[in-house]
Amino acid sequence: MTEIIVVTSGKGGVGKTTTSASLACGLARRGKRVAVIDFDIGLRNLDLIMGCERRVVYDFVNVINGECVLKQALIKDKRLETLHVLAASQTRDKDALTEEGVRRVLDELIAEEFDYIICDSPAGIEKGAHLAMYFADRAVVVVNPEVSSVRDSDRILGLLASKTHRSANGNGGVKEHLLLTRYNPRRVANGEMLSVGDIKEILGLDVIGVIPESPDVLAASNAGVPVILNDDSDAASAYDDAVARLLGEELPLRFLEEPKRGFFARVFGG
Amino acid sequence: MTTQRAEAAAAPAIDIRFGQVGLIQVLIWTTDPGAILDELTGRVATAPKFFQRTAVSLDVGPLGREPSVEQMRGVLEAVRRAGMCPVGLSSGAAAAQALTQPLGLPLLPPFREFQPPAEALGGALRVEPVPAQAEPAGALAQVHAQPVRSGQRLYGRGRDLVVTAMVGAGAEVIADGCVHVYGALRGRAVAGARGETAARVFCQEFHAELVSIAGVFRVFETLPPELAGKPVQAWLDGDALRFERLGA
Repeated sequence: MTEIIVVTSGKGGVGKTTTSASLACGLARRGKRVAVIDFDIGLRNLDLIMGCERRVVYDFVNVINGECVLKQALIKDKRLETLHVLAASQTRDKDALTEEGVRRVLDELIAEEFDYIICDSPAGIEKGAHLAMYFADRAVVVVNPEVSSVRDSDRILGLLASKTHRSANGNGGVKEHLLLTRYNPRRVANGEMLSVGDIKEILGLDVIGVIPESPDVLAASNAGVPVILNDDSDAASAYDDAVARLLGEELPLRFLEEPKRGFFARVFGG
Repeated sequence: MTTQRAEAAAAPAIDIRFGQVGLIQVLIWTTDPGAILDELTGRVATAPKFFQRTAVSLDVGPLGREPSVEQMRGVLEAVRRAGMCPVGLSSGAAAAQALTQPLGLPLLPPFREFQPPAEALGGALRVEPVPAQAEPAGALAQVHAQPVRSGQRLYGRGRDLVVTAMVGAGAEVIADGCVHVYGALRGRAVAGARGETAARVFCQEFHAELVSIAGVFRVFETLPPELAGKPVQAWLDGDALRFERLGA
């Protein structure tokens, strides 16, 4: 049984692609067969974060247009055997995506018996974002702890409730999860950022993960290694917890408090 | 090329649809353009996002006389300079009828007489012709159990609207009757959308951006501290919108 998960947010730059890459790796590391698809046609990034940009020959749009078969376009990850990447086209725009074409590719992946298909949505609420969420069974809405991100997420949640295949066919709707990224406990304590509690209350949803703000995330992007694979990072542990919760485990949220600094760090500065 | 032309020919140039939108009314008590401009500029400044470039209809009824075309041109100019866009005249008065032609504005139906008042519906024994699209009187409330998200709009046509979840910032809940929100109200609530002055707005947690009843509205740039987050009801007392904490 294949489950289609869209990673979306409305607002740009909140960490959708980072999250897509880490969730895909986390699921694959637990033995699941995973395909992760970049829906951001024209602004392709997922291949960079996954570190496979030099191996992209055919892309999502080629498959939709019948210029190659799906197998040729699916890039096998070199680290995790059960993980596959379908890159976006950099030279086209979002009009290259059609509902029919996306449906055909997803059906083919389902026939290939993938356990999870992760759809990395572009920012905005236009065609690319619409098609990324349209066939989803579940949605991970990525939110930064600031008001404009929360407002945009609210808008996306409204669209998830009304403009998806599941809502149109009365299949109980898309199951929604919140994932907070760039969470900085010190700034929350200072009142500069919204807290987990605030966001939960405003959006009325449960939180599947809180990823602390960390320099490891940028370093991981630049290195083309999804941050979840960095064993020494808090952000990696937080993503791994989110993967576990996605699979139904119940874990307490971590990294909501500022880490205690040692005596020397306090005296000599961090 | 040929296929493009074929597509162009198949697509119609226009579509005509019927729709209903809320319209702001400006009631004119004077034809003095200076006085109107002064007062409108002040009102627009209180809620620039709401009023700027907004379509309004002018009601000359309160004047109690027929203004001259010249006077009305002055009034229209004042309203435009205040940032609003007059799109029509509304009044039952014959006065407005004579002005439509020279001013080039349509005559819109009078505002509050759209629907007979509730008392007439409830106590009426005489049989009245029922308009084709009207809901039966005393129709059950429309109940909505999901959160109303930013950008969504719900409309309880001819009835109350009950939302048993929260209403997000930027969402709109509208009803011809009352609006009840059993959750946080962070968006806009419009009760009595067709002029029912007895309609009310109730909510469990008040953070509204705007509350309107029968066209009388208030925007909340800053919430009154005694009401913020509290259960609140709003009703119309004459022409004034009143708010009160529930169960206080």
